[in-house]
Parts: sequence; structure tokens; C-alpha cells
Amino acid sequence: MKLVFTLSKVSICPLRFRQLLSDHFVSVMQYTMALALIVSIITVVPPSAMAGDTARSIMEKVDARDDGDNMTADVEMILIDKNNHERRREMKIFTKDKGVDTLKIQFFLAPADVKDTGFLTVDYYAGEKDDDQWLYLPDLHKTKRIATSDKSSAFMGSDFSYADMTDRVLDEWTYKLLKEDKINGDKVWLIQSLPASKAVKDRYGYKKSILFVRQDIFLVARAIHLLNEGKKIKYMESKKIEHIDGIWVATERWMKTTVNKRTTHRTVLNWGNVKFNTPLEESYFSIRQLEKGFSR
Amino acid sequence: MRIISILISIWVISLGTFFCQADELEDLLTGFGDESTVVVGEDAGELDELLGGFDDTPGQQEVNVRDTPLLPPWLEIQGSMTLQLAAGFAHDTPEKDTPDYRGLSMLRTRGELIGDITLSTWQARVATRGFYDAAYSLGHRSDYTDKLLDEYEQELEITEAWIQTALGDSLDFKTGRQIVVWGKSDNLRITDILNPLDVRQPGMLDIRDLRLPMAMSKLDYYTGNWNLSTMVIHEPRFNKVPVYNGEFYPGNSAAPHTDEPSASMDNQQFAAALNGVFSGWDLSLYTAFVFDNQPHVEVTDTSGLVRQYSRIKMGGISADLALGNWLFKTEAAFLDGLNFFNVPEKDFSRLDFLLGLEYSGFTETSISIELANRHLFDFDSRLEELPDGQMRNLVQSALRVNRDFMHDTLHLMLLLSSYGVLGEDGAFQRYQVEYDLRDNIMVKGGLVFYQSGDVLAFQEIGDNDRLFFELEYRF
Repeated sequence: MKLVFTLSKVSICPLRFRQLLSDHFVSVMQYTMALALIVSIITVVPPSAMAGDTARSIMEKVDARDDGDNMTADVEMILIDKNNHERRREMKIFTKDKGVDTLKIQFFLAPADVKDTGFLTVDYYAGEKDDDQWLYLPDLHKTKRIATSDKSSAFMGSDFSYADMTDRVLDEWTYKLLKEDKINGDKVWLIQSLPASKAVKDRYGYKKSILFVRQDIFLVARAIHLLNEGKKIKYMESKKIEHIDGIWVATERWMKTTVNKRTTHRTVLNWGNVKFNTPLEESYFSIRQLEKGFSR
Repeated sequence: MRIISILISIWVISLGTFFCQADELEDLLTGFGDESTVVVGEDAGELDELLGGFDDTPGQQEVNVRDTPLLPPWLEIQGSMTLQLAAGFAHDTPEKDTPDYRGLSMLRTRGELIGDITLSTWQARVATRGFYDAAYSLGHRSDYTDKLLDEYEQELEITEAWIQTALGDSLDFKTGRQIVVWGKSDNLRITDILNPLDVRQPGMLDIRDLRLPMAMSKLDYYTGNWNLSTMVIHEPRFNKVPVYNGEFYPGNSAAPHTDEPSASMDNQQFAAALNGVFSGWDLSLYTAFVFDNQPHVEVTDTSGLVRQYSRIKMGGISADLALGNWLFKTEAAFLDGLNFFNVPEKDFSRLDFLLGLEYSGFTETSISIELANRHLFDFDSRLEELPDGQMRNLVQSALRVNRDFMHDTLHLMLLLSSYGVLGEDGAFQRYQVEYDLRDNIMVKGGLVFYQSGDVLAFQEIGDNDRLFFELEYRF
């Protein structure tokens, strides 16, 4: 958006520009060449600071987008290996905002070996504060605290990491607007996102991300994540975006992992029965509920 | 003209940089493997060419058509069928008239069925488990005593059977046969004293089968970050231990008869826990008045030598603290009222203490190490003699490493558990590989190595090393 604005400023500039130049250059040819060069430079290389500001303001809007509160959903996760063998996971997810933090409780329903497993998270928005996480293991009849500031681990063996399942902290990344594009007719901004520090890079496991932000709804419709390790790249795509209870939700998301352009694994995340503003009390997000489990 | 030259130079460099970045970006963009991206501006042709050569377009996902559920929504059934094989490979040729433990030691078919009922705020569960081990029929069945065959050849029992409800917003009540786990440690038991264990084959049992449920009534009160849990244990139940004539039985003669307390009013046991859950750390305090899980031998007027269970008092604490990828754990338990055969005139007390550390910073890996010491106060050297076999300080340690591979399909586990600083009092090592063939089918295999030591349960088990294999279907 800012890039377009900059160009329009340039287009009204010549009169003033000519006045300035006339004191130094007599030749009309020289003026024309200089003008052409400056326009070219501005067009192909937007000043990084300007692009950064623009990107940052877009990401602020993404961050501020209403993503709903008191949500419940049935989630199906399909893991597909390179031989197209599928494994399915099913879970029930509940989330609630607590100030800027997010409470989340997940109950695994299938397959049988993870059934009744529960995962409780207090996701702190402040990036430097580690999330609180507890896992209920039905085989052990025990709730166990999980200590991990590393969010790069795979979520339930999928291509999504724990970081991919939570919101990013805006200030932990630097942004640069790369270009505009279209996905299925929808205009998007392509924004490069770099970790602001090595700690962030290590915690998320990404050295660079390119985010495709839908211009109409400020939702990340696609993302490319370059992993710290090796030549792995992950591609995320929101295949289905729905407007539910006034909230835009990516109800079908794909993530695939590639190494040297060859897909090694894919995950499909289907969100169904999504509801917002359900009567969820804060006390529901507790070890008490984790151990009781979810009843259909 | 100098200015023009400078501007031209900047333009050329800028264009070069731009197209390098654009190349990298377009290269990344092709990874989506579809043709929905429309590039506004230049390089569209180049991108189309790249897209055409990228033959990795994922197909449309199948619509997951669900079968109509057979069961009503308030009822759930789950279970498993397992085939378990184990073979010993370190035994020497046995002496005459003694059992031959070489070769196949387990060919077990195990089944488990769990029914869950949920009606409003009421929940109930009935679970049953059983096995039949054909290894004894295929081997030298006559070498074994009836008692051993009773314990190891087949089993069928109700494991869990409980009903639970919420009595208002802050109270939960649960009664029936159930399991209650105390403590923060994963491998060593310090404060986890309530449910007895099945230790008939140390290091071999699935974690699901390890704890034995007991009939109890439990009332939980919740307020803020705290939970007060009180329970009355109605059913005295004790560890399942190796029996005489078995591979893991320590000694050459049968143990005296065991006098187990009955489930009478006099034998009710009591326990309470106060659990706090906070940001970054957890804390629990425990107290209990229960039977000691370890029997001691007593001389009685009527029956001679009898193994009996003492009443003990326990006070304990456990805490954990999460710092980054590290989880620090500690537990302590003070046990009072322990009795032993060799010093019958005196009650003993013991302090069990544990420090543990868990690290989750490596990819898909969890490493935990735990170190414990059990200190017997007012130690008497007579306690070292059989049948007590006690030590003033008993050091115990455990190292567990878990790692997942292939998107959680392949799981490796290493568990080293030992008594004594260097395992001199007994140890075992378990190396296990588990692979998920399908969502509901998994195979497991590995090796368990034993090391004999002074601890009673580890005496002369060094030759019990075994190879194991398991095929399981869960539904």
C-alpha cells in the first residue's frame, strides 16, 4: 500500500523537481535521464525503512485482527508421508483469552493410543516468558508439567510446530514488504519476517518466513518458513477460509515440508464445528478438567 | 554528468540485487505446488515455467466420511489386543530338577476392554484386563509349581471400576477401584506410595499395567490455584512380587505365608494431598496413614513365620520448576512405622529424597535423570541380614531418553535404572524401539539387560537378560 503511495507521490513531483534541477542542469536530456533513473530506482528498490514500516503496520493489523474468544472446535489432523500413507488424529480444542494471554485445552480423541490424552497451555503473549504446559497421560494416570521454551518441535508428529499453532509475538520479528500478489483472486501482501534475535530464531526454528497476508481480511493465507536446520522449507496454505460468528477462520490448513524441493511429509488440519463466544469459564482451563477429560 | 554516472551505477546494482531477491522469492513461491499464484508484474513467465516443472501438486483431500456411530453418545468402548513374546538368552544349562529358563519365556496374549459412561456431570468406568501365556504349555510346564502357574500363566481382573461426579462448582467425588499417582518424578517412586505395583518381571511390564488400582473414595476441593484431595482407601492391596520357582524370585526357598489384611473397617487407609499449580512451578504436600507395600517377616504363636504388612505414617512434598527447556524436580517423603524381622522390638523411620532433571531442548527428544537416596534412621547392622536385607543408605538412579523419529512414527526409548552409585546393588537397562504400523497397530521390540546386586529384588537376576517383541492393536 505504501509502495503505491510512494509512486503516486513521484508522479506529482516533476514540477518541483524541474525547478530544482534547472539551477544545476541546463540540458533537458539530462533532466529526463535523471528523472527516469530516480523513478526506476524507487520503483524496483523501495527504501527498506519505508518497506519495513509498511510491513510492520500490516502485521500490526494482522496481530490486531479479531480472532475470536471462547472458541471450541473439532480438529482433525491428517499426516501424510511421502508414500501417501495417512494417519489421522482427532482432537477437541477449547481456547479463551485472558488479557493478552491465551488459555488452551486440547483433548485427543483418536487414534486409540492417544485417546484421553489432554494438553493444557497458558500461552503468554510476552515472548520471553515461557508458556505453562501440562500433559495428562492416561496410561500413567498422571498430569505432567512440560518445560520447553523451544517451540520448534513438531506438534503431534505433524508438519506444524508448536509455534505454528500459536500467535507470533509481533515485536520478536522484523518485517519487510516484498511485493503484492494474488491468491485465487485475492490480493495479498508478501511480507518477509526475520527473527529479531538469535533466541527467537532458536525458539521458533525459523531463520526466515514469508507471510502472505490477505489485504481484505488481514489473515495470513499462506506462509513459507525456512527452517534453521539444513535445507528444509515448510509451506503453509489456508485452503479454506470461512467467516464464522463474524470471525475469519482458516478451517482447512495444509503444511508440507520439503527438502531440496522434494516433499517429505504433509499435514492437513481440518477445523470443524468451530464456535466462538461459547460460555467457557476460566476454571475450565485447569488440571481438574484436563484429568476429567472431554465428554462428547 | 558525475551525478548521472553515480545514479546509473546505483540503478544497475539495485536492479541486480532486486532480481537476485526476486529469483529467491519466486523459487520459494513455487513450493506451494499449485497454480493459484498470480504474479503481478514481471517474472510471471519465469514463475510459470518453474511451476510447470514442479510435479508435486497435492491431490484434493478425500472427504472423510464417518460411519454412523454404533454406540450411543453417552457410551464409549476402547480396548486393545496384544501379542507379547520374550526370550531369555543368557541362562546357562540348568541343574537337574530346576526350571529351564532358557529360550521362550513369554508368549502372552493380552486383552483389555474399557467402558466409559458419561451422563451429565456423572462419569463411570469399568475396565478389565487379562492374559494367557502359552509359553508354559509349550515349555516344561511340569518344572513349575502350581503357585507360579497361577500367577504367571493366566490372569483376569477388573482393573478400574469407578463412578465420579461433581458436587457443586468446587467439589468432585470419585469412588471405586482407581489409581492415584502422587509425585513429580517419572521413574523413581518417592511420594507415589498409594497404589501397589506389579513387579513380577521388573523392567518388562508396560506402564499401563504397572500400577494396581485400589478401591477408594476420593473427595477433591478446588479453590484458585489449589486443590485439596482427601481419600479413604477401602481395599488393602499390595505389590505383586515374583513367586518362588520363578525366574526373578530371589532365593532358593519359598517365602513364608503372607497374611494380607482384609478389607475391614479397621483396615481403612487414609491419605490427603494439597496440590498447588502456579506459573512456572508446581507444589504438592502429602500425608498418609497406609499399609507399607513391603511386607516383613514376623514370628507368630499360631503360624510360625508369617509375612505381614505394617501400618506406616507418611509425610511428603514434591515440587517442580520449569526454566526454559529444563524441568527441575524434587521429592521427599518421611516414612514412620517400618518394621523388620531382625529387630522386631523397634519401629523404624526412613527419609526418601529425590532430585530430578529433565531436558527437552533437543529436537523431538526428552532426557530425564533422577537420583534418589533412602536413608534408614537408627540403622542396626542386623537389618542387613536376610530376610530384611536393608541398607542404611540406598542410592537409586534412573536415566531415561526418549526420541521420536519420522513424524512420531518411530519411537526410541532407553531406560537405565540402578541401585547403588554405580549399579553395584542391582540394575537393569531397557532398550526399546516402537513403530506405528498404522494408527491403531504398533510393533515394539527391544532388549532388557539385568545386573545382579545386593538389593533383594536384584539378587541373582543377572542371567535373566531377554529379548522382547510386541504387536498391539488398539481400538
